[in-house]
Amino acid sequence: MSRPLPGPTVRGLEAIVGPEHVITHRDRLLAYESDGLTAYRVAPRAVVLPATTEEVSKVVELLHGARIEIVPRGAGTGLSGGALPTEDGVVVGTARMNRVLSIDPVDRLATIQPGVVNARLTEATRPHGLYYAPDPSSQSTCTLGGNVAENSGGPHCLKYGVTSRYVTGLTVVLTGGRVVRLGGAGRLAADGLDLVGLFVGSEGCFGIATEIEVRLLPLPAGVRTLLGMFDTMEAAGHAVTAIIGSGLMPAAVEIIDKATIDAVEASVFAAGYPKGVGAALVIEFDGTEAGLDEDADRAEACCFEAGATEVRRATSEEERLALWRGRKKAFGAMGRIAPDLLVQDATVPRTRLPEVLARIAEIAVEYDLTIANVFHAGDGNLHPNILFDRDDADQLERVERASREIMKLCVSVGGTITGEHGVGVDKRGYMDLVHNEVELDMLRRVRSVFDPDGLWNPDKVIPPVASGSPAEAAAEAVSA
Amino acid sequence: MTATAPVGELVRPASVEEVVAELARARREGLGVLPVGSGRHVGRAAGRQRWIALSTERLSGIEIYEPADLTLTAGAGTPMREVSAALAANDQFAPFDPPFVLERSLGGLVADGASGPLWTGYGELRNHVLGLTVVTGDGRVLRLGGRVVKNVAGFDLIKPMTGSRGSLGVIVSVCLRAFPLPAEDRLLVLEGADVASLLDVARGVGTAPVLPVSSVIVGGALLVRLHGAGSTVDSDQRTIERHVGRTFTVPDAPSAGARLARARDAAAAADTVLELSVRPSRLPDLWPSVAEATPSEAVVDTYAGRVRVGFETLDRAAASRLTEAAERLGGAASVVRSSDPDVASAGSRPSDAEELLTGRLRDAFDPDGVLWPARR
Repeated sequence: MSRPLPGPTVRGLEAIVGPEHVITHRDRLLAYESDGLTAYRVAPRAVVLPATTEEVSKVVELLHGARIEIVPRGAGTGLSGGALPTEDGVVVGTARMNRVLSIDPVDRLATIQPGVVNARLTEATRPHGLYYAPDPSSQSTCTLGGNVAENSGGPHCLKYGVTSRYVTGLTVVLTGGRVVRLGGAGRLAADGLDLVGLFVGSEGCFGIATEIEVRLLPLPAGVRTLLGMFDTMEAAGHAVTAIIGSGLMPAAVEIIDKATIDAVEASVFAAGYPKGVGAALVIEFDGTEAGLDEDADRAEACCFEAGATEVRRATSEEERLALWRGRKKAFGAMGRIAPDLLVQDATVPRTRLPEVLARIAEIAVEYDLTIANVFHAGDGNLHPNILFDRDDADQLERVERASREIMKLCVSVGGTITGEHGVGVDKRGYMDLVHNEVELDMLRRVRSVFDPDGLWNPDKVIPPVASGSPAEAAAEAVSA
Repeated sequence: MTATAPVGELVRPASVEEVVAELARARREGLGVLPVGSGRHVGRAAGRQRWIALSTERLSGIEIYEPADLTLTAGAGTPMREVSAALAANDQFAPFDPPFVLERSLGGLVADGASGPLWTGYGELRNHVLGLTVVTGDGRVLRLGGRVVKNVAGFDLIKPMTGSRGSLGVIVSVCLRAFPLPAEDRLLVLEGADVASLLDVARGVGTAPVLPVSSVIVGGALLVRLHGAGSTVDSDQRTIERHVGRTFTVPDAPSAGARLARARDAAAAADTVLELSVRPSRLPDLWPSVAEATPSEAVVDTYAGRVRVGFETLDRAAASRLTEAAERLGGAASVVRSSDPDVASAGSRPSDAEELLTGRLRDAFDPDGVLWPARR
């Protein structure tokens, strides 16, 4: 149970942001006790919702002055528990910082506050013929501040790259409330280390970004979407390798397995997949109209060569959305067939997909679990989704063991433990699979560059120092 | 190369272990260490102490190349010419084109961090670096990132390493993301009376509804490069021409190659080299200050808002005027090369906060300060 904040601290926060924006009532705090990873729940001591950089700065100054931990929070859609509160901490939410501050159509830049919802930025820039490229699946609710913290990806990152490619400048509030400007689109020639690039993906452990400058792209003139049906996942995997290997650059290549298709077809989201399909691929090309049909023809040929039983092609936006429906509604559909869903996230070299998927299927059998796969095949970013019931302790334990097994598998073929969801609390226990103690110690050192007192989003990303390890000895030597 | 202290020694380690050993020796003997790639582009070293140049030349060779994964891992000392040839044999390429790219080493390019004009279409070099093996100043071997495109397992230390110019550690191995070679690589050329009028056209190119892969003004012409399928490139050319109301010429391959080489290398080999940047829409406001300084050569990346200028001679006052001109427009300047220490320090200063964070990061990677010759 979290301790209430001292009265003077609450009053100090209220004086900064207004009493209605400081939440301390137990019932209202419940809404903040987890993010998209609901398996972990901790009620914070309070939630503060500042509206400006200045307010964030004063809030941080006050809380850090009292040595109170801060957990930054965007929309709370994260899937690794990155916004999980701590018992001693206060959540600082960006919900009220939801203004698009400027759009510069000539330089193709926008400056926004962190609470702006990802999809809303594209809506705001569309009249200028521009859009913001990274499109996490939660883009209709997730915020850009959260995207910056997690270095979020999305289906179209195959062609366009992840968040860090588009963030050109940041205003950040650091320890003690210090406001610092980093980078800036006009400052490419400036000497110095890439602090913007380091801040992106820091999972709330370095500070809070309060103004974000991003690069926009011209809206693609045309789009072609294909849906390929296959008897087996292996055949679909080979089609992916053939498409990428042929030199095509699809905007997205998404794969949906049988378990997911069955769940979708049994739900209200039924997308009209034929009965008995073993796997489906959504392939999309975008850009200049001329050439798109040619690309789609070549991709279709790759699908048939790999054994596709059917390839559908969208000719209207309505049809395009229909082809995407099975992919986009997969999580919602799975939510209806099991009480709980663990959305896993890992990346492997694309050519290793077929063998990794086969092994994941074996792991599902070994641990007697349903694992459904729906993911970004084009860049090898897997999302094995484990269906379970959290009230079944035995099953929960098997979920954890199977998860670790999958992570080990992905790392063993040259992959990693998270491609786009971040480490948060969920993947902390797997960090030793990809980083040795020397590297973990370096991550700790870099963290303390920004957060010497350990007051920003503690207990996230980096596992605690193993007792008796060289890092522990080093830490003791430093503190001695 | 503008060291103010003599190079005591050139060491050429052939393995990660030997790099670790050299750094340990440097710490023991109180030497500074300056990592050197091809030696083509060496940062400034300053100070009165003794220092050694650590060449990565023997850390050379392609380690893993999986064309179907579009990833290539090679030793830091591998010449970029060798990397490019291996990629080209599989119809792939590395989409960055900083000055003299083929004569440089892979590790040196990453340490320098410059992207070149292809930045417009493919993003910065740092986005193409998927993994790095580095030895920190205190001799610790770090494997950062990996061989996959998407990877967020821990803070992104690849970003500050890329462009750190040897100040955080010695890069010993690099994993790069490769791209398929485009079916068509077309250069559009528009000759112009002066840079100001070409900047006006470039602004139109920059706001056209298609994105070229680079857009540069050099040698009295605006060069716009398009990548894609033949029919796509045809269409993009028409779109751009319609948008700016001008017709471009398409030179033959040798002539296009020569123009692209100039766009890439212009001004970079001059005695004094400055880089200025502003938001692209401010380039017309910056240009008069550049012209007034009478550079021997200049190249303008019109989509990035970046100008590289070379001078036979430039005094401190003139260098400062250029820096101030960029800063007045919200931009920045850096002195890439100068033999005059007064000029060398005339670029934009980082803010106090940036300097503090940078200093602490350097202390985290190099607590004993062995890599001081690389520091600016």
